[in-house]
Amino acid sequence: MSSAGHSKFLRPLCTLLFGVAVLLFFGLAYPHHLHYQEQYQLFLFDRAYVWEIVRLPGGVADLLGRFCTQFFLFAWVGALIIGALLSAVQLLTLQLVCWGRLYGLSFVPSLLLWLFLLDENALLGGIWAVLLTLLASWGFSRLPNGWLRRILLLCAIPVLYWMVGPVCVLFFLLQAPRPKRATWWYYGVFVLLAAMLVILSYCLPVPAERLWLGIHYHRYPTVVPVLLWVAALSVFVLTLTARACHRWVCAPCHFIVTPLSFLLVAIGMGCLVWNTSNFKAEKVMRFDFMARHQQWNRILATIKAEKPKNQIGVTVQNLALAKRGLLADHLFDYHQNGIAGLLPDVERDATSPLPTAEAFYQLGMISVAQRTVFEAQEAILDFQKSARCYKRLAQTNLILGSYEVARKYLKALQKTHFYRDWANETLPLLGNEEAIAQHPEYGHLRKWGYDEDFYFSDHVTPEMLESLYFNHPDNSLAYEYLRAYYLLTGDRERYARLLLHTSMTR
Amino acid sequence: MYLSRMKTKLLLAVALLLLSSCVSHPDVPTSSKEAKCQPAIFPDYCDVTVPCNIAPLNFMLPADQYEVCVARLTTPDGQQQTYGKGVKVQIPESEWHKMLGASKGKSIKIEVWGKKQGEWLSFSPFEIYVAEQPIDEYLSYRLIEPSYVAWDYMEIAQRNLTSFKETQIFNNEITMNDKTIGQCVNCHSYQNYKTDNMLFHVRLSNAGTIIVNDGKISKVNLKRDYTISGGVYPSWHPTAKLIAFSTNKTRQGFHTANPNKIEVYDLASDLILYDVLTDSVSVICEDPDLLEVYPTWSPDGKYLYYCKSVPLPEELRDKDIRSTYPKIQYNLYRRSFDMASHNFGEEELVYDAASHNKSATLPRISPDGRYLLFAEGQYGCFHIRHNDGDIVCLQLDDADATLRAQIGEETPSDIDLSKLNSQGLPDSYPTWSSNGYWIMCASRRDDGNFCRVYFSYFNHGKAEKAFLLPQKDPELHVSLLKSYNRPEFMVEPVKISVNEFSRAF
Repeated sequence: MSSAGHSKFLRPLCTLLFGVAVLLFFGLAYPHHLHYQEQYQLFLFDRAYVWEIVRLPGGVADLLGRFCTQFFLFAWVGALIIGALLSAVQLLTLQLVCWGRLYGLSFVPSLLLWLFLLDENALLGGIWAVLLTLLASWGFSRLPNGWLRRILLLCAIPVLYWMVGPVCVLFFLLQAPRPKRATWWYYGVFVLLAAMLVILSYCLPVPAERLWLGIHYHRYPTVVPVLLWVAALSVFVLTLTARACHRWVCAPCHFIVTPLSFLLVAIGMGCLVWNTSNFKAEKVMRFDFMARHQQWNRILATIKAEKPKNQIGVTVQNLALAKRGLLADHLFDYHQNGIAGLLPDVERDATSPLPTAEAFYQLGMISVAQRTVFEAQEAILDFQKSARCYKRLAQTNLILGSYEVARKYLKALQKTHFYRDWANETLPLLGNEEAIAQHPEYGHLRKWGYDEDFYFSDHVTPEMLESLYFNHPDNSLAYEYLRAYYLLTGDRERYARLLLHTSMTR
Repeated sequence: MYLSRMKTKLLLAVALLLLSSCVSHPDVPTSSKEAKCQPAIFPDYCDVTVPCNIAPLNFMLPADQYEVCVARLTTPDGQQQTYGKGVKVQIPESEWHKMLGASKGKSIKIEVWGKKQGEWLSFSPFEIYVAEQPIDEYLSYRLIEPSYVAWDYMEIAQRNLTSFKETQIFNNEITMNDKTIGQCVNCHSYQNYKTDNMLFHVRLSNAGTIIVNDGKISKVNLKRDYTISGGVYPSWHPTAKLIAFSTNKTRQGFHTANPNKIEVYDLASDLILYDVLTDSVSVICEDPDLLEVYPTWSPDGKYLYYCKSVPLPEELRDKDIRSTYPKIQYNLYRRSFDMASHNFGEEELVYDAASHNKSATLPRISPDGRYLLFAEGQYGCFHIRHNDGDIVCLQLDDADATLRAQIGEETPSDIDLSKLNSQGLPDSYPTWSSNGYWIMCASRRDDGNFCRVYFSYFNHGKAEKAFLLPQKDPELHVSLLKSYNRPEFMVEPVKISVNEFSRAF
C-alpha cells in the first residue's frame, strides 16, 4: 500500500480510536460527572433564554455547550457528544499544518480538552469555543492571500469574539503572517482586538477580567480555566513547532511512524487523563444520581459491595435503608457519621444539600425540602437554574397547594426537551385535590406533612421527626429515621418510649 | 427606469411585509356567541384607570382555554383599531399613545373576542379610563428570586413606564470578588424622585453603600462602633444632603405549616441620620428595648416618620423572639426636624395600630402632605411576607381623625383602598408618585410567591382598581420567576451606567 493509502486508512482509524476511547471513558468510568453537569442547567427552547446567552461575548459557544449538556441526562449520549467534539477538534488541528512524523501531536489539544473536562465544573461551551475557532481558522486557511482575506480577518475577529469569547485569540495567532510578508495590518488587527475589549469592558455589565479570560468557560466565574487556555494555545505552539521542523517532519505518512507517534501521545496523555480523573467524586455523584432517581435497590446493592464513607454517600445509604425498612436494624452495619450522616445540616453549596433534600422530601418534610432545594439551586455558581431543582420545586409547591407557583415551574419545564412530558403530565394535577390525594407519591406526602407550624432552620431536630411520626404513625420512614436518630444520639429513654408507643399503636 | 421602479416596488413590498409581520390588525369575527361576561384577560385591565402616558396595556386570554384572541379598541373620537396575534393582544407603542392622547379624561372601549374549540365568543366590552394626570416616567426595582437565605444573580433595574424599555442600574456580578460569600444589592433610594442624589447598598463581597451626590459616586461604610449595623432602610431628606436610615439586626425564620412561609424579624433596630457632606452618622433614636425602623421624611422635610414596636407584655420579654414575634406590633410615630441644627423633636404618636391589634410599617407621606400610606398586617415588620398584609391610607390633614387615631378610636377604613388591595395575599411597599395621583405597591396577589408591581389611581381620597405593570409580552408576568422588590418611582432615569458604578469599588 502506498503512503497516501496508509494515510487515508490510518489517520481516520486513529481519530476513531480516540473518539471511542473518549466515549468509553465518559460512558463507563465517568457517567455521573455528566449527570452532574446536566443537573446544574435548565436549557430552555425559549427566545428570551437564548437571547440572554448569545448577547454576551462567547454566547454562541456557550449556547451550543448548554444545548449539548442537556443530553447528558443520558450518559452515553453525553459521552458520544464529547467524543465527537474532541475528535472534531483533532481533525481540525490536523488540517492546520503538515504534521508528518509528528502526527500524534495533533491529538494533544483534544487530550488537553479531555483533561479540562475531567473537572465537573468545566463547561462544554469552552470546548465549543475552541472547536468553532479552529473551524474558522480552517476556513480562513483556504482563502487566498490578499486584501479580501485581510478585510475578512478584520470582520471575523469581532464576530468570532462575540461567538466564542476570548479563546478566539487562537484564530488571530493562527493567522500570523509568514516571515518576509507585510505584518503591519496584522498588528493593526491585534491593536483593534485589544481596543475592542477595552471598550467592551466599559460598556458591558460584566467584570472586565471575564471579557479577557472567558465569561462562561467554567462554572466558577472567578476561576481561570487554565487547561482550556493551554489546550487552545497548544494548537498554536504545536503548529509553530511543526512548521519549524518542517523539513524533518514533513515526510509522507508511514505505516509504523504515524501510529507510533499516535500511540506515544495517546499512552502518555491517556495515563495523565486516568491519573487526573477524580473517581472519588464520581462515586459521590453516583450516590446522588441514585438518590435523585430513587434507585433504592441499586443503592443497597452498591453499599453492600462498598460501604460509603463520605457524607453524601452515607446520607443516601441511610435513605435507601430507611426506604426498605432496614435503617434502624442495620444502622451500625454501615459507616455512620453521627446524626450528620442521617440528615446533615444544610450547607451553602449546590451539591451537598440535594441528597438531604431528597430525604426531607421522602420523609414528608415538604417545606423543608423546598427550602433546601431552592437554596441549592441559588448556590449554583454560574447563576444557572437546574432542571432537577425546578422539577422538585414544582412538586413541593404542588404538594403544599401553591398551585400557581407550581404552574410557573411547570411552564418553564414545558420549554425543555427532556422534562416537557413530565410537566405536561403534572399540569392537570394542579388544583385537582382528588387526583393529588390518589397520586401514589404526592397523596401520602401531602398527608404526612406537618400539621403544626414551627420554625425550622439548617439543623434538623428530633422534634421535627417526632412531629412527623406521632401525627402520622403510618409514616414508616419517619419511624425509621426517628429510631436511628435516638440510636445515634444514644437517647435510650426516648428510644424506649418510641418503641412502647409503637407497640401500643400498631 | 423600469428596473428602478421594480426595485422601489419590491422594497415597498418588503417593507410592508415586515411591518405586517410586526403588527397584526386582524378582522373582527363576523359571527360569534355572546359570552355575557367580561373576558378573563391577564393581566386584568378591565375597567381600570390608567395614566395618560402609560405603556400599552397588552393582555392575553388564557392559552390553555383559547386559541385566538381579537380585541377592538375604540377611542372617544370614534377611531377604531383591532389587535391580536394568537391569544395575545400587543399594541404598538406609537398607536397606543395616540389613543391615550385622544382619550385623556375619557375612556377607551375594548371589545374582546376569543376563539375556543373553534367557536368565537364575544365578551362584554370593558373600558380603560385614561386619567389626565401622568405617572412618573421611571420606576426602579430589584429583580430577585423570592429567596430564603441564598440568592444568585440579582439586579436593580429601571423601567420606563411610558414604554417597555428596561435597563440595569447595577447587578451583583460585576464587582463580586468572592463568589463563595456572594454579593447582595438592595434598598435603592432617591432624593425627591430625582437620580442625581441616590443610593443603594452592596452587602457581603465588596460591601458598602453606594451614594451618588450630585452625580458623583462614592462608596461609604455607614457602620460605626456606636451603631448596631450599617444603614439599612433609607430615606433621603427631600432637600438636604441627609439620609435617615434604620440600623437592623435582621433574622429569618422558616415556617413548616404556615402560608406566610418566611418570617423576617429584627432582633434590634434603631434610627440614624447620615450627613452625606460630612460623612458623619448621628443617632436619631436607639431605645434598647424597642425596635425603630422604616424612616421616611415628610415632603417638606420638617418631620421624620417611622415605625416603632410596642413593648411586649412583661411575661414575654425574656422569651425567644421566634416565639414572641407574632406578638410584636409596630405603631407609626414622627419627630419634628430642625434643618438648621439637625436636631429632632420629641416623639409623637401618629397612628396607634396596636390598639386595633395591628402592626403598621413602611409609612409614606403623599407629596401634598395630606395622606399617609403604610402597610399593615397583624404583626411584625415584613408584611410582604404576610398574607394579611394590606395597604392603608390615612388622611393626615384631618386633625380630628388623626387625634382619634392616636387614641385608638379611629380605624383607617375612611379611605377605602379595597380596589388597590388583594384578597388574602401580601400587599406592601406602598409609594406615591411625585404628583400624588398614583399609588404603587408590591404584591404577591398573582400566585402568593412572586412580587409584582401594581398601580392605582388616587384622586380626592378615592383609589381606583389597581392594574399590573404592563409588559410588552403579557406572558412575562407568568413566566418570570423573579420578584419585583422595593419599587420606587423616579421622574428621570439613573444616568450612571453599571460599569461607572463598578469603578467606585
